[in-house]
Formats: sequence, C-alpha cells, structure tokens
Amino acid sequence: MKKKLWDPIFGGMMIGLAIILTFFISGRGLGASGAMTDFAVWVQNLVAPSLNQTSRYFSRYVANGANPLFDYLVFMGIGIMIGSFLAGIVSRDLKLEVLKGPNISNKGRLWYALTGGLLVGFAARMARGCTSGQALVGGAELSVGSWAFMLSIFAGGFAVAYFVRRQWL
Amino acid sequence: MIGPLIRNGIISDGTNYVFAVLIGILFGYALQRSGFTNSRKIASAFYMKDVDVPVVMVTAIITSSVGLWGMSLLGLIDTSQMYFLPSYLLPMVVGGFIFGIGMAVGGFCPGTSLASMVTGKIDAMVFVGGFLLGSLLFGDLYPFWDKFYNSDAHGVWRIDQLFNINLGLAVLIVTLLGVFGSLGMRKLQYKLWGRHD
Repeated sequence: MKKKLWDPIFGGMMIGLAIILTFFISGRGLGASGAMTDFAVWVQNLVAPSLNQTSRYFSRYVANGANPLFDYLVFMGIGIMIGSFLAGIVSRDLKLEVLKGPNISNKGRLWYALTGGLLVGFAARMARGCTSGQALVGGAELSVGSWAFMLSIFAGGFAVAYFVRRQWL
Repeated sequence: MIGPLIRNGIISDGTNYVFAVLIGILFGYALQRSGFTNSRKIASAFYMKDVDVPVVMVTAIITSSVGLWGMSLLGLIDTSQMYFLPSYLLPMVVGGFIFGIGMAVGGFCPGTSLASMVTGKIDAMVFVGGFLLGSLLFGDLYPFWDKFYNSDAHGVWRIDQLFNINLGLAVLIVTLLGVFGSLGMRKLQYKLWGRHD
C-alpha cells in the first residue's frame, strides 16, 4: 500500500524552503533542465564531439576541454534523483510501470511521452529554464519574463489538453 | 553570517556543491511526496481535475518570494551579490507555450521526469530521452533561432518595476493573488469534477 501524499501546501512550502536555501547559500536558484542539457551535451561529446564544437550554443559547455557535467546544476540533479528515490522507498512506490489513463495502451502512452519530452527539451532551452529554474525561482524573484513563461505554460497546456484527453482521463 | 554564503567567502566551492546535492535531495523528496512523480496527476492539472500541481507551485513561489525579500529586508542576504534571471519576454512566452504543450502531451516537466524516472516509471524514462534529444536539437540547430532567442531582452526586470510599485507591495499582491487563486482553483476543481477522485 502506497503512503498518503503530503498536503500540497506543506509540499509547496518544502520546495519553497529548498529555493530559499539556494538563494542564501549559493546566491542563485535551483533547477533541473540545466543538468539534463549538460548530460545531453556530455553524451554528444562522446558520439559526435564536432557538433558541440561547431554549435555556437554548445561550444561554451565544452570550451577549453571543460567537462559539461562539472556544473552546480548536475550536483543538484543528482540530489533530486537521490531524494526522490529515498521518498520512493519510504512511500513504497518503487515499481517498474507506465502511468496513464485507462483508455490508452502502454505503447501509445510512451509515444506521447517521447513527443512531450522532445517539445519540453526544446522549449526549456528557448525559455532559458524550466518549471523549476525559470517559473518557480523567477516567480519568487518577481521576474516579469518568468511570470510570462509560467502563464504561457498553462496556456499551452490548456490549449492541447482536449486533444490528448484519451491519454489521461 | 550574511548570504549568499558562497559570494561572501563563508563557504568554499566544494562545500557549495555539497549543498547543491543536499538541496536537490530535499527538492526531489518533496516532489515525490507531493505526488509529482505521477504523470497522470501532473496532466490532471490541465483539466482542472486535480489542481495540486499549481497549488504546490504557487505555495513554493510565495514561500520563497517572502523568504528572499524578507531576508533582504532584514539584512540577512545581500541581493546585489546574487544572480537574477534576465527577462527575454517573447522567447519566454513562446518557449512557455511550447513547454506547456509538451507537458500536457508528455505528462512531465524536467524536474518531475528526473524524480519519476528513478522510482521506476517507464514513461518518465522515455520522456527524459525525448528531452535530451529536444535540447540537442535546440543547440545543434541554434543558427535557426539564435536571433529570436536573444530578442526582446529586458535584463533583470521585476513586476514591481513593471507596474512602478513598491517591492514589498508587489510581494504582498503576489501572495494574496496566490492564496485566493489557489482557493479559486480548488473550488473550480470541486465544481467540475466533484469532491472525490
């Protein structure tokens, strides 16, 4: 039996506390997408290093032989995975499974997951961050761009929700 | 002891990285215990069927905003030593819209996909794979959108500056909007889908 979830207000306060700690300790916000892009660049460096060198966007990741994985956000990303894994043990929710609504096959759900991941991976770079590092952190900083980003996320989500309802409802 | 600790030489780079892992653990733990490793729960927000996701987000923003600007007011943190996110308005609006489409289709955002992947959710693993490809696509084909990506730049631009109001007042307004917005979203959820799910 899975454990009951935290109250959303308490959960939000704990995430808020994590953001306050990054402000106070590191003078910056937390984030998740940055670490994932670092990892993507690291993999690309193994299979096609010339792509990193010629890309004006990625070249700074590997400038002067730098390792893209040696980044504050990668340490944080490792922490996120450790924390969630520990919480998964505590709440007995470690299980190989595909989560979805009842009206779609596993295979169908995975195609949607791949497509959504592609879009989010692209969009996170376009917006210079994701729901964590741009929307939450920038929201706390009262950044105009971050608030516009967050409202646009919900606009985009509501705009297509009807068309993908088979997957979730 | 005044923050940011790393900028004021109170901790070393190495210690800062250790804290990055520890803060990540707190963040990941909170994501999982809030139910954010479940793609169906996240996507339910876009049908107003379960508004826990926006309520958690709003609460996190209010908490950290009051924390940040409160610490600044009390002289506990020197914000001039901090890195603040710059606003590139149009790329962020367009990026946000595509991001939202991706979330409704994929069921995750980056942080929740990482957290979900390690608890064995196969849809999260596939989503992460898609994310890696998507961000490589952005960087490898950068010349196609570098102009747009760098357009509409406003530097560090805050809501209080936009509306020309006091910073403390802006925090108060955001807090009130967040509280009443959360209550309103919950009410709408109950109205549309009932109290049980």
